[in-house]
Amino acid sequence: MTRPTLSRRTFLRGAARGASVALALPTLEAMLPRTARADEGGLGPIFGVFFWANGLPWHAGHGSAQAGPPDLWTPGETGAGFTPSALQAPLAGHPFSVVTGLTPWTDIPDSPAGQGDGHMRGFMVALTSDRPRSEGFDHPTHTLTARRQTIDQVVARDARFIGDRQTRFRSLELGVSTARFHDYGHWNAISYNGPDALNPPEVDPGRLYDRLFGAPTGDAEAGRRAALLDAVVDDAASLRARLGADDKARLDAHLEHLFEVQRRLALDDIACDDPGRPSTGGDLLSQTGIMAELLATGLACNLTRAFSFMLTSPATTHAFTEVGVVTDMHTVCHAGTWEDVHAITEVQMTCFGRFLDALASRVDPLGDSLLDRALIYGTSEYGEGYKHGVSEMPVVLAGRADGRLVPGVHVRDPGGNMARAHLTILRGLGLATPSFGFSGSETTEGFDELLA
Amino acid sequence: MTLLVAPPAVRCDMRLAPLLLAFLGCADTSTGPAAVAHPPAAEVTFVPGAFGRLTTRQYRNLVEDLLGDVGEPALPADTNPYLFESIGATTEPLSESGVQLYEEHAAAVTEAVFSEPGRRRALVGCEPETVTDACALAFLQDFGRRAYRRPLTGTEEARWLSVAAASSDPWVGLRSAVSGMLQSPWVVYRTELGSPDPDRSGLHRLDDHELASRLAFVLWNRGPDDALLDAADAGRLSEPGGLEAEVDRMLADTRVRQSTEVFFEQYLDLARFDRSAPDPGTFPSWTPALKAAMRSETLLLVDELVYRKDADVRRIFSQRRAFVNDVLADHYGLDVPGASPITFVPVDLPPDAERAGVLGLGAFLVMNAHATETSPTLRGKYVVERVLCSTVPPPPGDIELDLSEETGEPQSLRERLEQHRDDPACSACHALMDPTGFLFEHFDASGAWRADDDGSPIDATGALQGQELDGAGALGDMLATHPSVGPCMTRQYYRHAHGRLDDDDLESVTLEQISGAFAAGGHRFGALQRAVVLHPSFRFVAAPAEAR
Repeated sequence: MTRPTLSRRTFLRGAARGASVALALPTLEAMLPRTARADEGGLGPIFGVFFWANGLPWHAGHGSAQAGPPDLWTPGETGAGFTPSALQAPLAGHPFSVVTGLTPWTDIPDSPAGQGDGHMRGFMVALTSDRPRSEGFDHPTHTLTARRQTIDQVVARDARFIGDRQTRFRSLELGVSTARFHDYGHWNAISYNGPDALNPPEVDPGRLYDRLFGAPTGDAEAGRRAALLDAVVDDAASLRARLGADDKARLDAHLEHLFEVQRRLALDDIACDDPGRPSTGGDLLSQTGIMAELLATGLACNLTRAFSFMLTSPATTHAFTEVGVVTDMHTVCHAGTWEDVHAITEVQMTCFGRFLDALASRVDPLGDSLLDRALIYGTSEYGEGYKHGVSEMPVVLAGRADGRLVPGVHVRDPGGNMARAHLTILRGLGLATPSFGFSGSETTEGFDELLA
Repeated sequence: MTLLVAPPAVRCDMRLAPLLLAFLGCADTSTGPAAVAHPPAAEVTFVPGAFGRLTTRQYRNLVEDLLGDVGEPALPADTNPYLFESIGATTEPLSESGVQLYEEHAAAVTEAVFSEPGRRRALVGCEPETVTDACALAFLQDFGRRAYRRPLTGTEEARWLSVAAASSDPWVGLRSAVSGMLQSPWVVYRTELGSPDPDRSGLHRLDDHELASRLAFVLWNRGPDDALLDAADAGRLSEPGGLEAEVDRMLADTRVRQSTEVFFEQYLDLARFDRSAPDPGTFPSWTPALKAAMRSETLLLVDELVYRKDADVRRIFSQRRAFVNDVLADHYGLDVPGASPITFVPVDLPPDAERAGVLGLGAFLVMNAHATETSPTLRGKYVVERVLCSTVPPPPGDIELDLSEETGEPQSLRERLEQHRDDPACSACHALMDPTGFLFEHFDASGAWRADDDGSPIDATGALQGQELDGAGALGDMLATHPSVGPCMTRQYYRHAHGRLDDDDLESVTLEQISGAFAAGGHRFGALQRAVVLHPSFRFVAAPAEAR
């Protein structure tokens, strides 16, 4: 493929258009740069992925007035102090920056056919900065896997991120909608440890509650359960010795997880506010609130610092009946109306806002909220559902990452490399990373204007 | 596109392995002109065995056989790449939360049994005085054999004994040992490793216990019973006729019905039907009860054909028979005395009815439609891919997919889809799907019959692979004898039973032989099951790459 040759600098800080700078967020304070707190011996930054399905409403172009359906995503101004676009309005009470114009730079192997499909290529680049794995790729059955771990696991497993502050859960995977395009692969989960190794999300509030606040820990019974796992691991040795390489890798993943389960059982109990057994049901927005509040309670008592939150799964078949759209979303994107896709995207962005509300509402005694500590990466599987277009991937970076992330900036980089967003995330979390990206998307450049 | 199916008796190439020849009925070289009158066949190529986790249902069944009813504490959900949970189980590693669920499951089910004195006494069969007395030891050996589906090794026995001995209370100790065994990878997974075949280098033969396990989970969807374990202990599965005797016993046992149901649920993709949601505004009669009835009728149709009639299973596409309860009878416009919410009544439909076989039932019609309107493309795709095993190439990138473009006057769905077929970028693939899907146009997106489409006449003409047809009844009749249907069902069942995709380059001979035996057995489903598990590919595997 040909690489875009435009210099990203052309588009920075609104210089290209001389856009006026306006502080549109409700609280002026929210926009002010903060002193980095990362070295103050706090609990450490939080990283989360917020994923929604099927991108944005389609339109003829981005970033400028145009004929046809309007672009309600790209803010009209670039640089610091941009006015959030109409679709970003639900986020506007919170600190966030946005990058527009990014696209996969990953190559597309000729064979097997179909590896350029937006649901697949766009998803993989948004979560791994790589292309789908060619081996085993089968477009007709939509079977594919990642070549490597997703960005949430890159962070969660980084020894520097963990430091000496190991949490009860290395990461948590949550979801809201149970609608599925398929029951396998990335159609029902967005977090990978590696090829085929998905971390399926917990979508049941009751089970999430039990896992976070109900598990036995630290007592004699938990000790008994933890101790016998040594024998389970020992018992696997005679099996492991006889397996071929691929099967051995699967067994080893199992055993590694077993050590984590054992470690958790043996931990002393952590004092958490008991949020009470959650209610269930309601529309997507209320379910988002239930899951986000449970997560926020868990984050506040430091059960984890890394998570993914799958509002809807890739190519979701969720039917947004709350806005009168009875046909499933994937079909609506292909064969429905722009108005319906717009209404659906508004719901999903409202859910994103509700999710951020939960993080912002948990404030520690020093006055910092979970969102002040967090870097939340909001993204989807492609730009536009209509053609599965990946030319304008949505990228939201919310929170302040303990002061390392600068909110309130719109960076526009048409044709820019999606891997730069991941590099920016890693650096924003204080993880010095010289370069990132794979299969043609390798880059050494993050978006420095988003980093303090 | 059509696979040629040779009769099974032709492949008596005497260079083949003796067991393969035995399978093909060629063992006695002195008899039968068939043994010498036909050209030699290509040799079977063996592939490495799979290493699969038991599916969630298989694991639950195993635990139920071991401990009795312990409820259904959460376990990780199965995934179904290429339709089958067995394939997900051999490819996807367990996640961390999945491993935690096994740990919690083991804690919960052992709590249920060991917290009740009567229950634990019944399980163990005696009252242990100490954790290391004869009672405890005998129990651990017996429980271990049934959980591992083979006798425990001395090391394993010592390991679980020592886990038990860590508690002073023998009941707590035994509970720990049981809990540990239930989490052992030897129990949670199933191996197809075998040991080197002395006669052929590079080839492994499954040992009798691996074979017993494989037979049981494939044919019963649960672990081996005592009789099968005894046969494996005694080496009878390696003796002449011993394997056949066990297979015939298992196929005659009612436990085979669950595994057959599981196969058809996945082959017919009922999990996708479970997620379907027709718009209740468009279809006011759509209710959860109606949906549940549609699922049930599909499995009732299969069960009757396979177990009560033992008939040519390809008739699932053609027979004019429905099982309806009251809501389904209403939905299908049938007057069925005796139908109630819980009583499904078999109904013979007219021989020329459009509602033919499973493709005339709600599950297929609804899952391959959108919320408010039908999708000839999805319905055709299902028939072409699922029933005929043809593949439809992916759509080209950056294509116009909006079929609802305003063009001044309303267009029918057929007219809109015609745009696909006029556009050369789309036509090649849509021509494979849409003409077949149009045959179902008399059935709306809720599976109900419609004489017209909002006043417009219905055109249910179409084609299958270029052959013009009129209506779903004609399609069903054609599928019941179509030369691709048997080989395709063979391929699907083979994938299900082997837990992996077949490799055309390596396994075409195997598949031809099995589908030949399926055909020779009158396309009865039992003949297909028997052919798959008795084929040498079920007990011989290539050595793992590192071990070769």
